This record gives sequence, structure tokens and C-alpha cells, in this order.
Amino acid sequence: MSAVAQAPRQASRGRAGDSVPVLAYRNVVKRFSGGPVVLNGISMEVRRNEVVCLIGPSGSGKSTLLRCTNGLELIDVGEVVFDGKALPRDWNGMRRMRRRMGMVFQNFELFPHKTALGNIAIGPMAVLGTSRETAEAQAQALLAKVGLADKAASYPFQLSGGQQQRVAIARALAMEPEVMLFDEPTSALDPETIGEVLNVMKQLAEEGMTMVVVTHEMTFAQRVADWVVVMDRGAIIEQGPPQQIFQAPTVERTRSFLSHLGWSG
Amino acid sequence: MTFDWSVVSRNAGVLLEGVELTVLLAITTMAISIPGGIALALMRLSNVRALSAASAAFVELFRNLPLILVVYTAYYVMPVATGLNLSPLTTGIVALSLNVSAYNGETFRAGIASIRKGQSEAAYALGMGRWQTMKEIVLPQAVRRVLPVLASTWVSLFKDTSLVSVISVGELAYTSMRIRAQTFRVLEMLTAMAAIYWLLGYPQAKLVDWINRRYGVTE
Amino acid sequence: MDLDFTPVLESGWFLLGGLGLTLALSVLTVACSLVLGGALGLARCYGPDWLRWPIVFYIDSMRAVPVLVVLVWTYFALPIVTGAVLPPFWAALVALTAHISAYVAEIVRAGVTSIRAGQTRAAFALGMSRWRTIRSIVLPQAIVRMLPAFGSILSITIKDTAIAAVIAVPEYMNRSQTVAGQSFHPIEVFAVAMAVYFVILFPVTRVVDMVYVRLAHLGRS
Repeated sequence: MSAVAQAPRQASRGRAGDSVPVLAYRNVVKRFSGGPVVLNGISMEVRRNEVVCLIGPSGSGKSTLLRCTNGLELIDVGEVVFDGKALPRDWNGMRRMRRRMGMVFQNFELFPHKTALGNIAIGPMAVLGTSRETAEAQAQALLAKVGLADKAASYPFQLSGGQQQRVAIARALAMEPEVMLFDEPTSALDPETIGEVLNVMKQLAEEGMTMVVVTHEMTFAQRVADWVVVMDRGAIIEQGPPQQIFQAPTVERTRSFLSHLGWSG
Repeated sequence: MTFDWSVVSRNAGVLLEGVELTVLLAITTMAISIPGGIALALMRLSNVRALSAASAAFVELFRNLPLILVVYTAYYVMPVATGLNLSPLTTGIVALSLNVSAYNGETFRAGIASIRKGQSEAAYALGMGRWQTMKEIVLPQAVRRVLPVLASTWVSLFKDTSLVSVISVGELAYTSMRIRAQTFRVLEMLTAMAAIYWLLGYPQAKLVDWINRRYGVTE
Repeated sequence: MDLDFTPVLESGWFLLGGLGLTLALSVLTVACSLVLGGALGLARCYGPDWLRWPIVFYIDSMRAVPVLVVLVWTYFALPIVTGAVLPPFWAALVALTAHISAYVAEIVRAGVTSIRAGQTRAAFALGMSRWRTIRSIVLPQAIVRMLPAFGSILSITIKDTAIAAVIAVPEYMNRSQTVAGQSFHPIEVFAVAMAVYFVILFPVTRVVDMVYVRLAHLGRS
């Protein structure tokens, strides 16, 4: 596996002063054409081996920020810096960057005309030029890693939501990304299957993967995140380690958001 | 009035040749018009304004012209425009292909547009390029999705081959009517012609119904 | 290639007469097909079982056979069977109506069956009779939904009238052929023909789409 996996996570949460930012957002502004400002000057960092959770009410811009990270959406003002370099503004330049980031979608977006194995193998084959044998062997290993070794020949419609999402995670991992972006990975799942996906994500975190997770699963955020960012209406209203956000938030809106979710700490 | 139905059996061989040519016309036209339709759809979706406009104009033009007029025009215009002396068969195939490609162009455009945006996004997120995504992810799904429509288009095409009889292409309609002219057996030959088309066309129509039931779009 | 459009202009009135016939034949065909096809479609959905099979057979047969064949048979063969000779225009009307009403019947069937069963159940719950329900609840919504398809019926009919040229109906296509043959300028004549048909057909679908967009909310349930 890649180098990131070799650095085991720290048992304690919070930010070490000497860790390196993988992603940095500097005053990012985005408007939807002729309309509302969706991101209103976002500045934050994601450090190596860190798990950052983005939480906040719907429409706060969390998903948009994630999609700006890998260029599915383009920003208007400011910059997104990845591994020390600002993200290019053109589509083709972004293509090279995207190989180094993995994304997991709320709706899984598995390719229905390919098997689970095929879904995982197509990235390396089409983008990296990996041979079919190597790609499929790696895909089989990844399937085992997410607990679906026996589903290699299954098509997405034959899998449950939780299984599909785990295949989607494996598909993203097949590219050996330096950072994984999760866009509300469990929001479209039945309650029974949420756990199996969160467990895979927890395992990834423990292996040291740098992760940015947009989520409503507060328990997951509290237990697994190193850093929590609370967004509301396009701005960051508070950010800090989970102990701060979930137990002693400093901003009133954070408190009311969490209490609306029934969060009692 | 006496009827002589044996005129049909006596000319069975010739009629069969007519049927063969009908089938050949349909297959050849579809073989040209499926890639043609895909090409038109991709042009329509391209970012290059000229390509997109040209494709839209082509599709609108041929969907709004009677096919029989296209056949006649091809017959008179092509020799002058290209300087080549093409056989009626080739001219007929050209006319049919222009027409069916236009319909397929719209079919494939709608099919491609019906594939969720998220599918392309997932491919881009892996680092795939626009053409790669189209080739590996979007087109395979779109083609499966439009199969029922293509089946209907095939049945229409099969019937439309009868129109090239007006430029003396020896398919089933032309052959039947020529035998009628030679033998003066009007009712027998015309009824036989209708019956043969019916025998060929009825199962095809039922097959299309079955395909629509089985593979109709659900998403 | 030098083009000379004067033969076309000289035969302008002749061609225009043909165009008038094209439009007349189209409108009459559509009107008759709506009546016949509507009746067939409703009879298939709501009529007795024994009626269903012949209607389905008729519809599927018309889908199987080319328009040209129906036209030619109606004009040349039908008189032999019935003893009555039909002039070309009326033969074309009969043949085209027979063919197009099959498509109308299918559209009606699709439109009627697309109305959710809950709508009819609600009507019955209010005490409406079967026929009243069809008339006041199902049909109005179904007709709105069928509008785009009816637009394409008009378009298909106009294109099919051009085939009637083959049985000597003096509509536009037929007259264009005459002028082309006499003037030895077929390219100009057919180019004008293409423009004429396009100018007629292009707006037909557009107008129907526009009307549909205005009325679509009435058909949603």
C-alpha cells in the first residue's frame, strides 16, 4: 500500500503542531451562477493522517466544499492548495490531481454495467494503464479488505446499499489516493447497514489515511475525527477537536445545531 | 371475375429475392445508422458550437422531411453533386441512412442525457477523462437503455424500405408490383405483397412489444 | 452546377394547388383517425373482451405493413373486391385513416392506462358511474398527456400524404414530380419541395410542445 498507511494514528485527538497540511483552503468563495453565495470565504487545513469531519445544517456548503476540492466544482475566489500546489483552474489539469484523491458519493454511483470487481479495477486500468491481471488481483484484495471477498462477480443491483458503498470505497482506494473525500457516505443507507460502512471508514482512519468526511453521523465524528469543522450558510462558524465541538462548543449556533439533532453530548 | 392465386407460387422465387433485398436494405441501413446516430449525438453534446449546431440542424432537417422526398432528391441530386453514377440500390441506402441516422441521433442524445450526472462524476473522480468516461461508462449504459427504441426504429425502417421501390430498387414492393404489371393479376399480387409484409412485420412488432416490456426504462 | 428556379416559379400556382391538397388530405386524415382511433382505443380499454382481440389484431397488423402497401392495395385491389372504384384522393383518405388510426388507438390506450388507478377509485368512492368517471376524470387528464403524441401524429400524417403521390393523388409531392419531369430541372424542384415540407413540418411539433407546456399541469396527478 502507499506511504500514508505506514504512519499509524495517534491515540489522542487534536492537532500536533508539526504535522503537514495536505489540503489548505484559503479564503475560498463560490457563487452559483447568477445567484447565492455558497461558500463565503472558507479557510481551513487538513493535515496528513488526519480525519477531518465537516458538519452543519443542510445547505451550509459542506458538500460543495468537498466537490471544489477535487474540481467537480470550480471556485471563484481564493485557492485550494493540495500538497503545496494550488489546484489548477482548468479541467485537464484537475484530471491529474484527481487521481491522487479518492471520492465516495452519497449515492454510491457504482457503474451498474460492471461487476464489483470490474468497478474497482476500472480506475487503475483506464487511468493508470495497469494490466487487467494486476488490476483485478488488487481489486480482489481490496474487496477482501472491505469484507466482500465473495461478491467479486456480483453486479451492483445484487448488492445492498451498505455493500455497494463498501465497494465504492474500495474503488476509490484502488487508485492509492493520498486523501479520501467522503460526501455524506451513509446518508442514503438503511440504518442496519450504516454500521458496516462506518467500520470500514474507521479502519481506514486507523491505518492513517487522510480523510475529509461530510457527515451527519455525530457519534462517528466524535469517536474518529481529529478535527471537526462546523459550517453554516457557507461559512465556518467553529472548528476544533471533537472534545471542544461536541462537549463544549464555544459558538451558540453550534450548540443549537447539535441540540436540534438531539445531541446530548 | 376469376382469380388465379397460383401466380404467387409461380413467382415465389422472385418474390423471395425481393424479400432478401428488403432485409439487406434494412440491415445495411441500420449498420450505418447506429454509428451514425451515436456520432450525431456526441456532436450534439460536444462543447464545440459548430459541431453541436451542425448536428442539431441535420437531425431537425431529416426528421421534418417525408422519406419519399429524400429518396427522390437523392436519386436526382447525388449524380450531379458527386459526379458519380450510383446504382439505385446505393442511392436508396444513402437516403434511408440519412433518415434513420437522424432519428437515431435524437434517440442516442436522449439516452446519453438520461444517464445520471453522478455516473460521470464518479468516473472523473477516479481521474478518467471526458472521452474515456463517455466510452467506458456513459455510452455502454445509454446503448442498453435505448435498445427498445432502436427496436421500434428497426421495425419502421423495415417498412420504409418499401419506399425505395419508387426508384426501381428491386426489393419486395417493387418486385410484387412488377409481377402485377406483367401478369395483370392485380388483386392476387397486391394481396400477396401485403400478406408477405404482414408475415414478416407482425412477429417483429410483437418482438418489439416484448422488448419494451422486458427492458423498458424503470429508473 | 447552375440552378434555374424559373420553372418552379412558373408552375407556382400548380404547385400551390398541390400543397392545398396535401394539407386538406392531412387534416381530414387526422380528423378521421382521431375519431376512429379514439373509438378503437377506448373500446380496447373499456369494451367487452370479445372486442379486444380483433382490435389488437387490427392495430398490430397496421403496425406491420408499410403505408405504401396499404395505399396501393386500397386504390388498386379494393375496387376489385367491392366493385366500387374510389378516386385517388378518397382512396388515400381511406388508406391513411386506416393506418394512422392504429397509432392513435395505441396513444389513447397508453394515455388512459397512465392515469393512476387511485384516480378512478376516488371517483367511484364519490359515487360516480363508470362512464362518468371516464368522461370527467380520466379522459381530460389523459388527453393532456397525449398532446405531444398527437402532435407527432399530425407530423407523420403530413409526411405520409407524400406517399399518396404514388397512387396519383395530385398533392404536392406528385405535382413536384410532374414539374420536375416536364422542366428537366429536378434539383431545383425538389429543393423547393424540401423547403416547403420543412417549413410546414418544423413548426407543427414545436407548437404542440408549447401548448403542452402550458397545459401540462392539468394532466399531472
